[in-house]
Amino acid sequence: MSELPDKIQGWFSGRGWQMRDHQRRVLKATSAGHSALLIAPTGAGKTLAGFLPTLAHLATQNHKGMHTLYISPLKALAVDVARNLTDPIGEMNLDIGVETRTGDTPSNRRQRQRYDPPNILLTTPEQLALLISHPDAHRMFGSLRHLVLDELHALVTSKRGELLSLGISRLARLAPQIQITALSATIARPDLLRDWIAAPVAPQTTELLEMAGGARPEVSILASKDRLPWAGHSANYAIPDLYEIIKNHGTSLLFVNTRSQAEMLFQALWAANEDDLSIALHHGSLDVAQRRRVESAMTRGDLRAVVCTSTLDLGIDWGDVDLVIQIGAPKGASRMLQRIGRANHTLDAPSKALFVPSNRFEVLECEAALEAVHKGVQDSEDPVEGGMDVLAQHVLGMACAKEFEADELFGEIITAWPYRKLTKNHFGRVLDFVATGGYALKAYERYAKLRRTGEGRWRIANARIARQYRLNVGTIIAEPMVRVRLTRSMEKRPGRQSTPRGGRVLGEMEEYFFSQMRVGDTFLFGGETLSFQGMRENEAYVARASAKDPKIPSYMGGKFPLSTYLAERVRAILASPDEWQKLPGQVREWLSLQRDISVLPGRNNLLVETFPRADKSYLVCYPFEGRLAHQTMGMLLTRRLERLRARPLGFVASDYALTIWGLGDMSMMIANGRLSLDELFSEEMLGDDLEEWLDESSLMRRTFRNCAMIAGLIERRHPGKEKTGRQITMSSDLIYDVLYAHEPDHILIEATRRDASRGLLDIGRLGECLRRIRRNIVHKPLLRISPLAVPLMLEIGKEPIFGEGRESAMAEAADELIREAMGS
Amino acid sequence: MSNAIQKTVAEPEASSIHFRGHTFLPLLSGGLFWEAEDTLLVADLHLEKMSSFARSGQLLPPYDTGATLKQLACDLAETGAARVICLGDSFHRDEATNTLSTDNKNRLAEMIAGRDWLWLAGNHDPAPHTLDGACRPEIMIENLTLSHEPNREIAGLVCGHLHPAARVHINARSVRRPCFVHDERLMMLPAYGVSTGSLNILSKAFDGLFDRAALQVTMIGRERLYPVSAKRLVGG
Repeated sequence: MSELPDKIQGWFSGRGWQMRDHQRRVLKATSAGHSALLIAPTGAGKTLAGFLPTLAHLATQNHKGMHTLYISPLKALAVDVARNLTDPIGEMNLDIGVETRTGDTPSNRRQRQRYDPPNILLTTPEQLALLISHPDAHRMFGSLRHLVLDELHALVTSKRGELLSLGISRLARLAPQIQITALSATIARPDLLRDWIAAPVAPQTTELLEMAGGARPEVSILASKDRLPWAGHSANYAIPDLYEIIKNHGTSLLFVNTRSQAEMLFQALWAANEDDLSIALHHGSLDVAQRRRVESAMTRGDLRAVVCTSTLDLGIDWGDVDLVIQIGAPKGASRMLQRIGRANHTLDAPSKALFVPSNRFEVLECEAALEAVHKGVQDSEDPVEGGMDVLAQHVLGMACAKEFEADELFGEIITAWPYRKLTKNHFGRVLDFVATGGYALKAYERYAKLRRTGEGRWRIANARIARQYRLNVGTIIAEPMVRVRLTRSMEKRPGRQSTPRGGRVLGEMEEYFFSQMRVGDTFLFGGETLSFQGMRENEAYVARASAKDPKIPSYMGGKFPLSTYLAERVRAILASPDEWQKLPGQVREWLSLQRDISVLPGRNNLLVETFPRADKSYLVCYPFEGRLAHQTMGMLLTRRLERLRARPLGFVASDYALTIWGLGDMSMMIANGRLSLDELFSEEMLGDDLEEWLDESSLMRRTFRNCAMIAGLIERRHPGKEKTGRQITMSSDLIYDVLYAHEPDHILIEATRRDASRGLLDIGRLGECLRRIRRNIVHKPLLRISPLAVPLMLEIGKEPIFGEGRESAMAEAADELIREAMGS
Repeated sequence: MSNAIQKTVAEPEASSIHFRGHTFLPLLSGGLFWEAEDTLLVADLHLEKMSSFARSGQLLPPYDTGATLKQLACDLAETGAARVICLGDSFHRDEATNTLSTDNKNRLAEMIAGRDWLWLAGNHDPAPHTLDGACRPEIMIENLTLSHEPNREIAGLVCGHLHPAARVHINARSVRRPCFVHDERLMMLPAYGVSTGSLNILSKAFDGLFDRAALQVTMIGRERLYPVSAKRLVGG
């Protein structure tokens, strides 16, 4: 049935529309009994394509119960899709029930949905996990025919995707007849994503439907007459240009990489806003109501510009965007294509975008991204393999649903693509962990969460465990946050010592940010300069301040690393002066100067410069492998340099380069053979040095906290008593220390190590880099700083310096005490 | 933790603590050896802390009690102390004396046997219990009072309770470790138990307890103790 029923055909013709080619192909695949992955750019009418088979089926046949389940990464998107679906269904005069189910759905409706589900239910991966953990899940999903997965590319690279894959493996057993239609933006490896979808519904055929991109986007890089900064991320130099550009366009979306950049840019634009243009701010820390106001103003077309972070990467079509502006490093080509797609009026008109580098290195990165966008190169991340923490959560959920046979559940789990390689041994260890903690020391038989029945099946020990599971479901672990509440300044009320109360909530910020603050310190938030007034429990009190130069949240680099593809292109541009013609004059001069004074980094080598400055010796290298890999490298090199008695003091890493400084003369040490760069940068650093560092590293503890919460070792919420973020952080560190010291092979330590090496440490990338540069290191001793080193040297003091945990700090403080005592 | 077990006693001359006419030897474990009295002082063992969460469904690693007791046994072997005084919060909960595993019970009984053993009451374990050794609210030895909680009113008080830690910051590096802290009137021991957290001595909870001008801080390093300059202390 690739033709539409009359009612739907009539609806199309009534609007002078016809089915688009990809919508027809999805319909055809579905009627052939296949699943499908539809890859299409934004604005192509993907969502309707996903639902056409459902509408076509329900228009001609009666269906009792749930027919189609739709899953989206965002609650707001599910709500929006429901609206966009209800209208045509009404206009087609079809009798189809559509409902959403999110954390905001009232509990009586959620109850009702379980025994009387709508034909089409729209929800999120977390709600799916909850639904299948109920004993009556088979009743709710038994009649399911169709599963629609929206924006799947955004889910499969995270733990949410791991959890979703496990949920689908259960759905495929509850409803063996289901067919999947997955929708994705253009990605690097569509074949992998197809396999991801096909695995749980095998041997059903899963078709890969790729839709050619629409008109090629028109992208350019801002050519400013003003001076391009050496370093920093504020793009302040470009404000006059940006303001003019906003004035000359209907609606512009300005994307930045971090919240603090968003705040600074917003502030600067308003300072220049002589015409009182409606410019708004949108980021994840702002109060939800505030964000919704911006979104609806945007949809109504009331705004001229919105400064936003990745919070607007996904989701709802915010109306007519004329121009997308990326400020700062693009980081990856696929990410840029998706952002640029935000400016799609229609598929056939080109979207318009502008890159605005905020410093000189970013000019190179923007140039590389521009080229990649023109060529349509994709560098998105691949779907991730499944973690044991997420599996543990799922296993407990499945026990809540129904008692199970271990082998049977194992067989079901390995149909989820991320878990296709799971061994029985690992599964057994996870099961053991869920039941009694999985410790070699058997201490908790008495408190077991899962018990064996007489027939050897597993069941939950009591109903409280199911309640706890439901409170802790999901894989999104927030940093400990505090509410930011506006109050009057204490300075205006002399003599009052008590912490102020009351006032409007402005949003939420990370607790650690305030832990470093003193009363009176100022910072930017929500587009205002605020001064810190005090903390009470989970709230930070702030007052409006007039300070011109606030103490701004430090630039945390954003969470996305520079993609390997862009990094390679940046190295290529640097290494070939022929390509410099397209660069702005200031950048060309900078690079020429580097060529004259030092050396240019090559495509495949590693340039290492050493030079003295003040009373310290500096080593700067340029791997271009992203900030995380550079930080790890910095940690490991510092250890090695300490052993070689180069007396390192600290280091700073950017996406492009790493600099380490110390008291020993590194130029001299290399010259007289006491320091060999080949040995210093050898892959061996990923052996013992890495192990030793992990022993002490707070990164492992931070990663452990997430794993432990997802796996259910630590509760996130208790009925009736909420723990504050601070308490959880404290105790999870201790738990990690005790567990790591006494059972380093525990399944959660294994999960932590895996997450840390692919996440915060980026070990894989570092390893590839070390292999690439082996015996390919170019050393250039200099008498003073090189032009290329300037940007990073300017970051010293702004970025956190890594010297944490070194005993030498205590030794020096002790020596100082002795000197004091001796009276010298 | 494991490193500390291998080498318990640091060079005495470097890090002895002098308090109200007495000399004490701080240990890497957080214990304090009073040689003149042949007495080992330990505070805040918090035994059975991890397992106390099991009843509420959190099955935390059950290794803390065993590890803390092993540490204690090492300190006793090293110092040969004839008397042990636990300065309160020895057990994470009053009931914890019942949840000790047989192994740990035996370990403890072996240590107590042949020694003068005192359990002082803490806020976590206020009730007297039936384990070997004597239970007391506090005790006076020479011109010193030993009890769980600090009290500025009593001159010469040795206590625990707040789990003191210090952070030093010098030449762009910083490190935070548990510490011994004292002035002319009050001495506080770090928490001994392996599952205990710590609190920076510059934080609010310490306000008014110590005379900042006379503050003496000895931080616990990996292999030695560091009496550090108080002007290098920072919060956090």
